[in-house]
Amino acid sequence: MGVLLAVLAHAVAAVAGPWVVRRCGVRGFWWLALVPAAVTVWAAVAAPGVIEGRPVVWAAGWIPEYGVSLALRMDVLGLLMVFVVAGVGALVLGYCARYFAGTPHRGLGGFAGVFVAFAGAMLGLVLADDLILLYVFWELTTVFSYLLIGFHAEERNSRRAAITAIIVTTSGGLAMLGGFVLLGAAAGTYRISAILAAPPAGGTVPVALALVLVGALSKSALVPFHFWLPGAMAAPTPVSAYLHAAAMVKAGVYLIARLSPAFADVAPWRPVVVAAGIATMVVGAWRALRRNDLKLMLAFGTVSQLGFLCVLLGYGTRAAALAGLAMTMAHAAFKAALFMVVGVIDHATGTRDLRRLSGLRRAMPATCAVAALAAASMAGLPPLIGFVGKEAAFLALTGDPVALGGVLAGSALTVAYSARFLWGAFGAKEGHAPTEVAHPPGAAFLAPAGLLAAAGLALGAGAPALNAFTAAYVGRYPPGPHDEPLALWHGLTVPLAESALVIAAGALLFRRWRSVPAFRFPLDAEHGYRVIMRGVDRAADQATRFTQRGSLPVYLRSILLALLLLPGGALVSGGPWPHDVRPWQVPAEPAVVALVCAAALAAVLQPRRLGAVVCAGVAGTGTATLYVLYGAPDLGLTQFLTETVTLVAFVLVLRRLPARFGERQVAGIRVVNALFAVAAGLVVAGVALAAVSVRTAVPESALYPQAAERAGGTNIVNIALVDLRAWDTMGESAVLLVAAVGVVGLIYGRRRPTLPRVGDATGPVWAIPGAPRIEEPEAVRDAATWLRGAETLSPERRSILFEVAARLLFHPMLVLSAYLLFSGHGSPGGGFAAGLVTGLALTMRYLAGGRYELAEALPLGPGVCQGIGLAVVAGIGLAGLAISGEVLRQAVLDARLPLLGEVHFTTSTIFDAGVYLVVVGVVLDILRAMGAELDRRVEREHEEVATA
Amino acid sequence: MNGAIEAPTIEYGQLMPMLLVFGAAVVGVLIEALAPRYLRKAIHVPVTLLSLAGAFALIILQAVRDGVPEQASAMGAIAVDGPALFIWGVILVLAFISMLLINDDDQFVAQAAAVPGSPEEEDAVAQGGAHTEVYPLALFAIGGMLLFSSANDLLIMFVALEVMSLPLYLLCGLARRRRLLSQEASVKYFLLGAFSSGFFLYGMALVYGFAGTVDLGGISSALASVGGQDSLLYIGVALLGVGLFFKIGAAPFQAWKPDVYQGAPTPITALMASGTLVAAFGAVLRVFWVALGNLDWDWRPVMWAVAILTMVVGAILAITQTDIKRMLAYSSIAHAGFLLIGVIATGDAEQNSGSLSGILFYLLTYGITTVGAFAVVTMVRDAGGEAGHLSRWAGLGKRSPLLAGIFAFFLLAFAGIPLTSGFFGKYAVFAPAVSGGALGLVVVGVISSAVAAFFYVRVIVLMFFSEPAADGPTVALPSVGTAAVVTIAAAATVVLGVFPQPVLDLADQAASALFIR
Repeated sequence: MGVLLAVLAHAVAAVAGPWVVRRCGVRGFWWLALVPAAVTVWAAVAAPGVIEGRPVVWAAGWIPEYGVSLALRMDVLGLLMVFVVAGVGALVLGYCARYFAGTPHRGLGGFAGVFVAFAGAMLGLVLADDLILLYVFWELTTVFSYLLIGFHAEERNSRRAAITAIIVTTSGGLAMLGGFVLLGAAAGTYRISAILAAPPAGGTVPVALALVLVGALSKSALVPFHFWLPGAMAAPTPVSAYLHAAAMVKAGVYLIARLSPAFADVAPWRPVVVAAGIATMVVGAWRALRRNDLKLMLAFGTVSQLGFLCVLLGYGTRAAALAGLAMTMAHAAFKAALFMVVGVIDHATGTRDLRRLSGLRRAMPATCAVAALAAASMAGLPPLIGFVGKEAAFLALTGDPVALGGVLAGSALTVAYSARFLWGAFGAKEGHAPTEVAHPPGAAFLAPAGLLAAAGLALGAGAPALNAFTAAYVGRYPPGPHDEPLALWHGLTVPLAESALVIAAGALLFRRWRSVPAFRFPLDAEHGYRVIMRGVDRAADQATRFTQRGSLPVYLRSILLALLLLPGGALVSGGPWPHDVRPWQVPAEPAVVALVCAAALAAVLQPRRLGAVVCAGVAGTGTATLYVLYGAPDLGLTQFLTETVTLVAFVLVLRRLPARFGERQVAGIRVVNALFAVAAGLVVAGVALAAVSVRTAVPESALYPQAAERAGGTNIVNIALVDLRAWDTMGESAVLLVAAVGVVGLIYGRRRPTLPRVGDATGPVWAIPGAPRIEEPEAVRDAATWLRGAETLSPERRSILFEVAARLLFHPMLVLSAYLLFSGHGSPGGGFAAGLVTGLALTMRYLAGGRYELAEALPLGPGVCQGIGLAVVAGIGLAGLAISGEVLRQAVLDARLPLLGEVHFTTSTIFDAGVYLVVVGVVLDILRAMGAELDRRVEREHEEVATA
Repeated sequence: MNGAIEAPTIEYGQLMPMLLVFGAAVVGVLIEALAPRYLRKAIHVPVTLLSLAGAFALIILQAVRDGVPEQASAMGAIAVDGPALFIWGVILVLAFISMLLINDDDQFVAQAAAVPGSPEEEDAVAQGGAHTEVYPLALFAIGGMLLFSSANDLLIMFVALEVMSLPLYLLCGLARRRRLLSQEASVKYFLLGAFSSGFFLYGMALVYGFAGTVDLGGISSALASVGGQDSLLYIGVALLGVGLFFKIGAAPFQAWKPDVYQGAPTPITALMASGTLVAAFGAVLRVFWVALGNLDWDWRPVMWAVAILTMVVGAILAITQTDIKRMLAYSSIAHAGFLLIGVIATGDAEQNSGSLSGILFYLLTYGITTVGAFAVVTMVRDAGGEAGHLSRWAGLGKRSPLLAGIFAFFLLAFAGIPLTSGFFGKYAVFAPAVSGGALGLVVVGVISSAVAAFFYVRVIVLMFFSEPAADGPTVALPSVGTAAVVTIAAAATVVLGVFPQPVLDLADQAASALFIR
């Protein structure tokens, strides 16, 4: 329960933080510091039990579905980390109270809350005993650290640093989550203690570990992810002191320490950890040596030390682990102290640049002493804990020349930059006046740093006590040849000589630091990061430009490409091709097909809309011809008529559009489009061919003759329409009607106007604006005309020939349509075709006589036609129901009538008549809306232009 | 002639939720025809919301009182099984909150038929015209979604596809501002959608040619019994896939999504991005698991490719987007890719139910967060309507920290950061995929998530760490409906992120018996 309370107390304090700080001012930080301080005390009280091997545990189910639980566990490693996290946290919070004193900071309350929340998340991270829970805390630390780093958010640098930090750590975190899931799947549980007790092996485990390492290395800022940490130093100093010395960056180290006992010997673990660690240690220290900003120097030093810790804790031997734990404590103490010292200096002098600092040793002696103590621990001088840890490390790595050599080199550099730090911050520089100290630090400001520096001394002196403390953790590793307890004095051993060598080399490097070449890591990771980011940006840019230009043809191409690849691929790879393909059935076929192809090609090449429509019409007509050639005159007839009516509708609408197509695409693209179109056409045709050739069942159409006979007719197309599938026809009639109403509604924008008669005509129809007016002689004007509506036409638009032809042809066409209507049951024809013929007759009248002629030809509105038609269709259906109990049941009447002779009549003819009326109504609608209404608007616009 | 057709048995009780929605849509049409203009909205709103809520209540009643049916309804045409009930519930919840957004004034055009910028348009705006037809149209689309996700034969599925899509094509073109963009979106969506529907239909015909039935279960058994026509089947399946992948916006059929999401009125975008995606995944699962489950060795490689391409395209292309709605559209593409991972992760029955439960949970979490995000988009406005351009969002965190905070939270949920619903959603899909052997996909998924996180983070940084522009957008005082949507979505995102177990249990129960055939 204690572990839970420890985390919860932080959560409560985080929520209360803003309020506390707002209420008590910067002193509120003292109150907040009580929380981690209390946790530290609690941990100290619980410590004896934990050290004896009785960890504090608490667990509750969270998401049993995935075996995820809220499990917290404080064993020795956890205890040590609690001391680091909560202990340093309390001190840093206390330090904040002074650091922020005097200067007003916007949003300080929020800052305090987030800081405590971060401490709580960090505490949860080191206590979590469930991989998923650990990941949750892991990401929480990322988010909170983001907010802390971005505290001075207005600066551009700050913002960039924040982005870099969160991107690197979040990406690493996601990889780590992947690793956790794999690990959990392999182990069958997410409970860390259970996984460590019985580590899974083989299979996906190496992959899982590699992913986990990516997360750990990125979080702890190891090569190749080290660049985000120095960049994040824009944060206020307390944040750096806590996040980048004690807490957040330790998360990766902690994770490595946590998993090493079980996995150090599994394939990628040790080589990766050691290689990355050594590289980081050397690169970080090298770069620290060249910094002039004290804080940046410490930042690179932190990077270096983290590498060192990872090598030790990931090495997987008892001695290395012991050294690692000692160094972890040492680092937390001295690095936090040094960061705080930098903050103190910054506060006192207003600068952190060592080129501008001089003679502070005299001005700030206490600070100088604290810093010296901490830096000595960093450099590994006796009798501090840093020295103890380093000795142990050198011993542990004996026998591994690569690791040992790297660590020695890194340590020498560490000594050098430690010395340089001290000299830079406090030393008197030649030719420099002593820096003015504006605000000498008070005792309370310096105390936290002093305490931590003193802790380094105390731990060094009490090093033997650490052996018992860490025994339970270290004992999990197999014993090795170098297992010696921690102590200040081991006698005259090789590691002692190495220590001396390191110190000497470091001192030399410090003297000659100016001659240390500016080091550029050949694989500069920051550069790599920028290249990747820029590359991703550019790739996204290019990809967007390539695929997402908002152009329909481009989108269509990608869909067609998929069509070609998937079904096309399936077709080519194994399409069942028919065995006997005859190239044609009738000799005329190739010619017609050639015509259709040519028309299709021409339609694409036409620069004018009208031309394209005509070409498309020719292609359609050719298809109709094919139907006829194949012995389907009925289909052919219908197709011919439909093509014609469509052409009329197109022409009527095209009057309102520009004659030419807009921008044409460049030739290259058109070729590509053409290739796509042809290929897609071939695939679809091929699929049709394949589909036909695998038929195994008897075609449904084999039954058609029988069905037609039973229905009392011989034309199966018509019988299918009005009898076999009368339901469909009824539905389609309704759909046709709705579509017509929709189109009409779009054009009128409201109800259809009443039927305009010749008497309503206001001016000459279709007048060509600007054309010379032709005055008709008086006698001609009053004479009877062939078409009444033609009188309303503008004289220059009249064509006597057309008027006469229209007058003469209209009635024969109506007769023809009546014939088609009644003969449909037995021979080509039917209501649909008949309706289209009537429609064409009306079209002819309209074209010859203008819009007022329509009402003369047929004084019925389209709505009336359509309504009656649909009513007839529905009525005949209901009549069938009434008579025979079945909807749309048709009856056949055979009778001998005077004059007409033998009459064969089926009720389906009445049904067909309904269809006829609907079709006539639709054509009439097209003529009135797209023809007459558009005419009216064109004329009105011309008038407006003329009057304006 | 119409030989005697036997009256089909229809389990009205089971279908009642869907029938209620369709019924309300028809009533909506009647309201349009009969009610005076000024009263229409006042009647539509309760009818629409009550019907959606009622349908949801009916689902709960069905699940609690009668349990999950074990037989397909309506002569085997519609399967009201566990997954269907869950998906119905999700769709209805999403539809309900989207409808609260749709209620908002000022989103839809005054007179759709008036040419943009014409005097007619000005007149219509001045008269305060509004297209209340939006309500029945949306209800038809929602009904179509319900049917689409529960169709048990391809024919019904096609009908549902059209019933769902046609109103949406229209609704996309009704944005009040930037009307040309909206109309262009509508035309593009319609043309490409018609194309893909055509492919679906063609594929269906070929599969029918192979199996002699359009029944999903029948197709499954035909796989074992019919021989020698494999390529007919493959071609058919590929064509079906084109139609379905288009609807979920999987690459390479994703191109319409950004354009349409950007152009459509934002409430409609919210409905499409949530409801349509959920319904389409229901259909995808039925086709590929129920009908083609035994063909998984053949479709899996293709699906792998599609999933990888979808995730990568969605994540990478989102980076350069400068329009918030386009960015969310790409995010939706990437999420479709993540969901496809779940579709691929099949195996034995236990594995399947694990994957299915993950997908169901993901659909819920993603859908709700999406609606919330789009709701926030409707609130950030400047003179020209919504402030779509990302640069206009700079410094929003300083102007209205609460709204920006909530939006940031939604973005983090999209990115899958823990303690948001998105985290467990991703987890729910990825974990079964790992155990189902789709490790490679999960790796790509994780990498894409990381890339995606990059652009979500960029927006958050932009909102919080930039100085607001002097003439920046204002945050509109939200209507009650919009405020409710944002609140519900934020609450759901938190609750599902912290305490997902009850909903996971529900998804588990729904998925336990898998689909009925």
